[in-house]
Amino acid sequence: MNLSLPPPTVRVSGLTKTYTVAEKQPGLMGSVRSFFRRQTKNVNAVQDVTFTLEPGEMVGFLGPNGAGKTTTLKMLSGLLHPSGGTVEVADFEPKRRQQGFLKSVTLVMGQKQQLIWDLPAHDTFLVNQAIYEIPDEQYRATLREFSEVLELDGLLNKQVRKLSLGERMKCELAAALLHRPKVLFLDEPTIGLDVNMQVSVREFVQEYNRRYGATVMLTSHYMADVTALAKRILVIDAGRLVFDGDLEGLVERGSADKTVKLQLGRPASAEQLGRYGQVLRLDGLNAELSIPRSQVSAQAGRLLSELEVADLTVEDPPIEQIIGRLFGQREVAGKEEQDIPEPQELSHD
Amino acid sequence: MTSLPALNKARVLLANGFAIMTAYRAQIFIWMLSGTLSLVMMLVWIGQAQQAPDGRIGGYNGPDFASYFLSIWLAGQMLVVWVAWELNFEIRQGGLSARLLRPLDPIWLHLAGHFAERLVRIPLMLLMLAAFAWLTHARFSTRPLDYLLFTALVLLGFAFRFLWEYCTGLLAFWTDSSTSFSDLNWLLYSALGGLFAPLSFYPQAVQDVARFTPFPYMLGLPAEVLSGRSSTGAALWGLLILLAWTTGFGVLRLWMWRVGLRKYGAVGA
Repeated sequence: MNLSLPPPTVRVSGLTKTYTVAEKQPGLMGSVRSFFRRQTKNVNAVQDVTFTLEPGEMVGFLGPNGAGKTTTLKMLSGLLHPSGGTVEVADFEPKRRQQGFLKSVTLVMGQKQQLIWDLPAHDTFLVNQAIYEIPDEQYRATLREFSEVLELDGLLNKQVRKLSLGERMKCELAAALLHRPKVLFLDEPTIGLDVNMQVSVREFVQEYNRRYGATVMLTSHYMADVTALAKRILVIDAGRLVFDGDLEGLVERGSADKTVKLQLGRPASAEQLGRYGQVLRLDGLNAELSIPRSQVSAQAGRLLSELEVADLTVEDPPIEQIIGRLFGQREVAGKEEQDIPEPQELSHD
Repeated sequence: MTSLPALNKARVLLANGFAIMTAYRAQIFIWMLSGTLSLVMMLVWIGQAQQAPDGRIGGYNGPDFASYFLSIWLAGQMLVVWVAWELNFEIRQGGLSARLLRPLDPIWLHLAGHFAERLVRIPLMLLMLAAFAWLTHARFSTRPLDYLLFTALVLLGFAFRFLWEYCTGLLAFWTDSSTSFSDLNWLLYSALGGLFAPLSFYPQAVQDVARFTPFPYMLGLPAEVLSGRSSTGAALWGLLILLAWTTGFGVLRLWMWRVGLRKYGAVGA
């Protein structure tokens, strides 16, 4: 019996990307100076990032704006050439953009589209069928399946420019996955969508992963996407991977406190409650306290013995709050030293 | 899907390009009208010939000028290329990313778009040509071989111009904008191609230089072939020169594509 595990689908080691960015002082003199002598500086968008993704794994990729998430995904999907390190995706080196690689992966960018603007989405699907050489039978079966999960009926024959943002995103997803890729890189796939549409996209990704065993790497500003889809989280900050672990681990690391929710039997003052921890909320008989992790057991015991408590629950703070706190601290601390440029600022000398 | 993937891709891309171009049919008609500089030049030269003592300038009388410039217009219509503008936009705005993710060199999508546009353009073009020829008493060659040579020259001329403009568009990997190069391209193409006047009207030194460039063979030569003013030998020589230039730019395009992709910033995406 062979007990060896299948090899990872994605292997990244020491991945680095350095951009050359043009710098110009504001105003007319700045423009004149820049005309005669253009100044540039190197910015490390991604620095020495290492991780692996197992087959069928769904991973959330988090980080503040400009942290290097999209740059990393672009290198993994072969759009950008790394400045250093090695990448292997589905046994291919992405930057070589071999046919087999391009047929095995997809990158969905919430703010970019591949659908042909002036034609119905169905026309883009047919182009993709031909380009990816999808047999008729498989094409029909996949389209049927996607139509069912994404509720595409009635959308495919409408001009893309006449679709709503949510409808367009559903068609984008279908177009990007028609060839049944084994690796999905999803960059903000739910951005700008309403809650129902977000749920619909999430369910589709979940179903695709379950059915085809695809490896999924997802960035999103909506924590609900991440908590619903990913057990494992990678956090990148200022181009460096600062966390790789499960959600619980992130919560532990990101929050030194726990939230204790109380339902009191008799009213208590904020001053009284303040003796046990920081009062986050006091609303009649309901209260919320923030208590350091190490003191939770002791303080919960005191609360139960000293106050009339009808119910007490201990929870981790919401993930949004933890992430916000993690990044907020760094952004304040490192604002001066590291400012990753927006893509438009990249130079082409 | 047919059993030949390459054939199927060509069919689907062409059908798709045709669907897009029919959506822009009115725009194509406007483009055609705006590309009538050669017809303006025709009126100028016919006017000059009428004022000449023997009704001729440089061996051309009025109907000769009409035949030449209408043929130039016809060849020019078949050589319209906008790929540099598209590439410049895609590279600068990041739109190239979506194309790069597919297992097909984006050049084929651009090429299919140009061919599809030609399918929409040709019927309109022939109608306009018939009307202009009737109005100007233009005369065209009666030798079937000349039409074959004209078609070959125009096809090869298109291949060269497409690759030339493609390389120009790829300069956007290195420069802030490559469209300014396209303006220079157009000046060379139209001046040395014979769009303003037959090349034989230029000073000898200019003619000598032009002979080494592909431009006279992609515009002026097919026009002379169609108006019955060129020999088969000259046309074959032109085809050979165009073939050499097209091969050269084909190789250059491959090199620029490979090196340029390393510079690509996938911006805005």
